[in-house]
Amino acid sequence: MALFPVISNFQHDFVLLLVPVDTENTMDEVAAAAAGHSVGVRVAPRPDKVVRVRRQGDADFFPREMRLAESGIRPMETLEFIFCDA
Amino acid sequence: MALLDRSEWYDIARSTNWTPKFVTDEDLFPDVMTGAQGVPGEKWEVYDEPYKTSFPEYVSVQREKDAGAYSVKAALQRSRIFEDADPGWRSILKSHYGAIALGEYAAMSAEARMARFGRAPGMRNMATFGMMDENRHAQLQLFFPHEYCPKDRQFDWGHKAYHTNEWAAIAARHAFDDLFMARSATEIAVMLTFAFETGFTNMQFLGLAADAAEAGDYTFSSLISSIQTDESRHAQIGGPALQVLISNGRKAEAQKLVDIAIGRAWRIFCILTGPSMDYNTPLHHRKQSFKEFMQEWIVDQFERSLLDLGLDLPWYWDKMIAEFDYQHHAYQMGLWFWRPTLWWNPAAGVTPDCRDWLEEKYPGWNDTFGKAWDVIIDNLVAGHPERTLPQTLPIVCNMSQIPICAIPGNGWNVKDYPLNYDGRLYHFNSEIDRWIFEQDPKRYRGHMSLVDRFLAGQIQPADLLGALTYMNLQPGECGDDAHGYAWVDAYRGRMAAE
Repeated sequence: MALFPVISNFQHDFVLLLVPVDTENTMDEVAAAAAGHSVGVRVAPRPDKVVRVRRQGDADFFPREMRLAESGIRPMETLEFIFCDA
Repeated sequence: MALLDRSEWYDIARSTNWTPKFVTDEDLFPDVMTGAQGVPGEKWEVYDEPYKTSFPEYVSVQREKDAGAYSVKAALQRSRIFEDADPGWRSILKSHYGAIALGEYAAMSAEARMARFGRAPGMRNMATFGMMDENRHAQLQLFFPHEYCPKDRQFDWGHKAYHTNEWAAIAARHAFDDLFMARSATEIAVMLTFAFETGFTNMQFLGLAADAAEAGDYTFSSLISSIQTDESRHAQIGGPALQVLISNGRKAEAQKLVDIAIGRAWRIFCILTGPSMDYNTPLHHRKQSFKEFMQEWIVDQFERSLLDLGLDLPWYWDKMIAEFDYQHHAYQMGLWFWRPTLWWNPAAGVTPDCRDWLEEKYPGWNDTFGKAWDVIIDNLVAGHPERTLPQTLPIVCNMSQIPICAIPGNGWNVKDYPLNYDGRLYHFNSEIDRWIFEQDPKRYRGHMSLVDRFLAGQIQPADLLGALTYMNLQPGECGDDAHGYAWVDAYRGRMAAE
């Protein structure tokens, strides 16, 4: 377990944010951490959707259960958080 | 005694180049200080400043200007303009003085460098006057807000801002260090006087002067108009310097300096002037939108200045013009959301009437920025102001030192422009910011943004309170909504009616 800073670029939000997460977090947990700073703050909630994580510019998302430590994501890498169908 | 007309003696009197006997020319004018880029001294003899003045003329005119600005201030001292002004307008004054006053003082040092190391006698002569101009500007813009300090503690930041690690102060210092504090005489002529002053200071000093007069703040209007008359004179130092560089085969070097300086200046004015004109100025006092002002002064006028000199438009010109539609709206949202980290109280500027105006001036505003403001407004109406306050840091651009932001809502286009350099990952707001870094990475690589400092453990405790302490924002100084959230009532009424 180790504190791990990532950059959140959350769909429909206006700014990149510093989000501290943990190397043991799954992608769903990382997404939840990022959502906490954007959804219901400057982004309208979309309860029918799930938020998926991908590297900025990538088409593919990380598997939802993948742990951060296994993802190859580097500290302070910019991640996109996108609303997807559940 | 009959006096000769100035034109009959000026050229001889200001031709102060001589042949040194005790030191070499290179020792007297080292290239690192002159920035002459190898163009020899005699080639600079053709430098011809378009605006000529003598010392007696200068002193006489400046005395009149000072008398004008100070007498307007004295005459209106007992008026209730300050008390009666819209709080958004007072916020413009606070942000202006904090961001500008000591920057003028720094510019005095830059002018002094040109006065000593300028390769052309005309440049040295003009810069001597420019040096005194900037001293006058620093003094005026410290003296005027000083009167307001007993009424409102945030005005103390007119002097304090540059001495702190407040994030906007870091951004201003980073830009001004780059544009003129850590530059040679020729670079200063090109980057400060030509790009920054010819191109951009008109916006802050003419655009805001018009809004100030509309708002009834004749003290501020006369002050900044008085300053602008100096700016428009000493800004002309750069043009002839560019002509010398270009005619001696240094166009590419000159173009690069211009492109860097315009890119950096645009960021500063975008965050300082943009929100002032389109959000903080009360709706009924707005003369032009920020975009309209940019179109008139930058696209129509400055573009012509560039081309007339034989320069090209910066490679990113179209990208910058595209930003006129959105970047300052994004900065405004950041300023308001991270309002405790400011030394002024930002006006939200998003009443229903304001939004109609924004939609008219920037079609699509409601579908983009409006969507994010809708969520903020819902939280305020629902009694959750804590949801409208910062819980984490925004990522700051490693060039502008301003949060990386763009269009939210249905036009979402926010993007990081990263760069891996020498094992360190840098983040930029745009291709323009990243390109500037890439022109001289060794110059910029060591600087730590506020986020870098936070991650390095320099900000303790690692929370908002720790950040405010690091920024030297004391209780009673931290920003809050300019109107005490009174504007939310319009939405409360609407929602109740629905």
